[in-house]
Amino acid sequence: MPTPRFLPRIPTRPRKDGLGRPSSCCLAVVSVVALLAIGPLSADDDLELREQSALQAAVDRVAPSVVSIETVGGLERVERLLVGNGPTTGLIVSPDGYILSSAFNFVQKPSSTIVILADGTRLPAQLVATDHSRMLVLLKVEPGRELPVPEAAPEDEIQVGWWAVALGRAFDLTRPNVSVGIVSAVSRLSGRAIQTDAKVSPANYGGPLIDIRGRVMGILSPLSPQKSGEVSGVEWYDSGIGFAVPMEHVHRVLPRLKEGIDLKPGVAGVSLQNGDLYADGPVIAAARPNSPAYKAGLKPGDKIVAVDDKNIVRTSQLLDEVNRRYAGDKLTITLLRGDEKLVREIELIDHLDPYQRSFLGILPQQTGTPADENGLVVRYVYADSPAANVSLQAGDVITGLAGKPVKSANDLVEIMAAAEVGKAAPLEFRRGEEVLHVEVTWQAEPDSVPAELPAAPALEGEPPQRPATGRFAVKIPELKNEAVAYVPDDYDSRRPYALVIYTHPPGEVPSDDQLLGVWKERCDRGRLILLAPKAAEGGKWQSDDFEFIRKSVEQLRGTYTIDPWRIVAWGDELGGSVAYALAFNQRETVRGVVAIRSPLTTAPVDNDPVSRLDFFLTQTKGARSEKSIGAAIQALRERKFAVTVKEQGENAPLLSDDELAEALRWIDSLDKI
Amino acid sequence: MMTEYRSAVRVLRPALATTIAASVLLLSSTTLAAGSLAAVVDGVEPKIVKIYGAGGFRGLEAYQSGFLISAEGHILTAWSYVLDTQYVGVTLDDGRKFDAKLLGADPRLEVAVLKIEAADLPHFDLSQSPDVPIGARVLAFSNLFGVATGNEPASVQHGIVAVKAPLEARRGSYETPYHGLAYILDAMTNNPGAQGGALTDRQGRLVGMLGKELRNSQTNTWLNYAIPIGELLATVDAIQSGKFVPASSADGAKPKHAWSTGLLGLVMIPDVLDRTPPFVERVLPDSPAAQAGLLADDLVVFVNNRLVQSCQAVTGEIDRIDRADKVKLTVIRGQQLIELELAAPQ
Repeated sequence: MPTPRFLPRIPTRPRKDGLGRPSSCCLAVVSVVALLAIGPLSADDDLELREQSALQAAVDRVAPSVVSIETVGGLERVERLLVGNGPTTGLIVSPDGYILSSAFNFVQKPSSTIVILADGTRLPAQLVATDHSRMLVLLKVEPGRELPVPEAAPEDEIQVGWWAVALGRAFDLTRPNVSVGIVSAVSRLSGRAIQTDAKVSPANYGGPLIDIRGRVMGILSPLSPQKSGEVSGVEWYDSGIGFAVPMEHVHRVLPRLKEGIDLKPGVAGVSLQNGDLYADGPVIAAARPNSPAYKAGLKPGDKIVAVDDKNIVRTSQLLDEVNRRYAGDKLTITLLRGDEKLVREIELIDHLDPYQRSFLGILPQQTGTPADENGLVVRYVYADSPAANVSLQAGDVITGLAGKPVKSANDLVEIMAAAEVGKAAPLEFRRGEEVLHVEVTWQAEPDSVPAELPAAPALEGEPPQRPATGRFAVKIPELKNEAVAYVPDDYDSRRPYALVIYTHPPGEVPSDDQLLGVWKERCDRGRLILLAPKAAEGGKWQSDDFEFIRKSVEQLRGTYTIDPWRIVAWGDELGGSVAYALAFNQRETVRGVVAIRSPLTTAPVDNDPVSRLDFFLTQTKGARSEKSIGAAIQALRERKFAVTVKEQGENAPLLSDDELAEALRWIDSLDKI
Repeated sequence: MMTEYRSAVRVLRPALATTIAASVLLLSSTTLAAGSLAAVVDGVEPKIVKIYGAGGFRGLEAYQSGFLISAEGHILTAWSYVLDTQYVGVTLDDGRKFDAKLLGADPRLEVAVLKIEAADLPHFDLSQSPDVPIGARVLAFSNLFGVATGNEPASVQHGIVAVKAPLEARRGSYETPYHGLAYILDAMTNNPGAQGGALTDRQGRLVGMLGKELRNSQTNTWLNYAIPIGELLATVDAIQSGKFVPASSADGAKPKHAWSTGLLGLVMIPDVLDRTPPFVERVLPDSPAAQAGLLADDLVVFVNNRLVQSCQAVTGEIDRIDRADKVKLTVIRGQQLIELELAAPQ
């Protein structure tokens, strides 16, 4: 153990050496008495002591600007999270009484707010504005004197490895509570946050994250990389992963917040083609009608190569550029359309009107093998639909729409993604030898199911190959779930089959015999393939189970001809809640939900032109579930989804014969365009 | 949601402890500071004991931590179900095992003193415990998660004192009995088995006893805390000398003649929500409230300087004030904070 050869030094305030660490050459007064009291010191103790006192000095410097916030009234729970009622923290950001805090501290929507300054002065506070992108709120008090505003650390100077001290005022209102860590990362969450391993929790949300010189690096806030709800990010409290919104950014938006302008995340309104976020470049699949992207003339197939002067190589870079901005911000987008380079300006908006799918009114002929690529054969025309209005008939072949050639159903779906209800477009089709040109006006998708659908044409000759049919087990090597599948015995690979994923009610795993007792007949009748997965953990569904389902569907699609437009999640009663969750979680795969008397327990996703999703559900008049199912129907319709609702009498069976037949027709018609 | 929330944190906490342990190791191999930190740890470890007793089912661990406070084998630890058995075993740092006798316990402070038959043991001197400031570096010694067995030393974690403040905590939905001062720690110290462990300063001097797994009742987050030795000193002395008399729980009871909202002439708005904001519906004429100038629509925010967040809280606070005393109400009227004093008519 090293022994001191020189007189120990008492630490003083650290010299500012630009590194944010205390300099090692500060000499100071020696107080032998004080040091003797705690025994002999080594050189390292000295370093530690000086570090500690530097941290203390930093805390003392900012502490007068850290305030405590008390609220009165409000909710007890938000999104099933029990909201604390203890004091929370805020930071003074301007001498005339503006105080910044975390939006988390106000999720309970209190009826009144009181700010307690460092000296104990109590002041009533008004909520001025909210930054919904960074989850911050601005408060105003009338202090009657100048309040101390802390110095901000320049964002580009902040380095990973710097000391980072998180301050709150949530325990003892006379002094701040302190947590010490380092800067773990900068420019996190699309550049919205600094990351630290100091403990960040409701005890300091809204407080500052300071460097060792007592400069504010950021405001502590529970942000979440995955979710954007009011209380998301809180599940990471005290975990060693904490976030702070850079103070420089705060000062940039402060003028807008002071005017009472709420800041919201900006959206452009494009759907991108599916691909690897971190490998593939962003290619537009559809620009939502009336969205900023649509108004700027962005078109499906356009490849985005730059935003402002930043080159975009991967989709994730584009998302970062958009996610960090607010509604109202302008972007200059450079894109490639074929070989042509185009530059367009886009002004982000705060929300898009829900997308409503346009409807032509036909069912395409279902073929297992790609058609002759010469157009789309019409199987059925919906009564009173745009197609019916121009006298389209079954057997007609659609060859062009809105000025673009149509070779397959995929082409048509892609063109329809940009179509807008109420607008008109030219349609070209063949009837026999004749080529006809008409104009169709798009309607909204109907909620009703045709009373009768034409049977699929008979196939001639023997099917080319016969994979396993009947009942069999599905396993994915690395996952412990099990599933049973059923394929009708008359399976023919030349015809596409719909796939039903049956999700059992949580905790009630049916036996294979029970399942097949219900589903064999349905599958044979409706040309369905059944996949009935079982939740891995005691029948309780977890998000890992959805991964199993995704992989199982992939496996089945490798072997059987499954129509990608007719993959349905089906659940009875509480199993339907799981079906909803599965559909929202696996949007690339699931195209429809059948929920029999099921409450909706997950927040619905938004309708989208590329990831189509339709709903078929039943509710019982006068039952206890009526209200919650009614709310589900309303929530889905507000998002402009097509929702087919069957009302059932009390004591009725889960599905009557008529209702079952209708559900099967609904599945059969899920590929409607 | 809440259970997921808890389990996520519980999974993370051991991981953090590992990181801390790793960083201590790193220090010892690379910097000079190692010498002194290692020496401090070496000096403390022989004073820490592993305690085994009741439990072992339904998530209740059958072990906890403690530390020696006399050469003759007095051990200070947390009062818990683990000690609620005739057979409490103590394992010393060197692996020696003893049967321990429960000398006494104070359920209000959640503290207990055990005794083993031994001599010349290294121990902490309670009377020499310093008070440490906010931000002070501290070391926590405990057998959290029962990692150490036999002659393995207890686990060491380092952190700082986040704040020293009254403990407002709950276990499940029950308020905890201890409301005195506690060191709130910036380290994940309070995990299963850690209760009764020692908190020392950077020089290895005892400053507190690690508490249990509790939730902060203000924020619903898990708490990491230790009770300052100063708060325990008198009780421990009394138990050790056999003079301990458990305190009666009479304090904090309602006064015999208490105020009520009715007596004050105060009619609050109907209490219909979990947290109905405490607005005044109306003030009865010639009442103390009327004389003090209280008006309808005032929002009551403090009663005798205690924050009241709901109508229920207002009634609860007022019910605790003796009619001989004045009632100070702080209300928000418009954008002003106004203080009013209500007193019985002379």
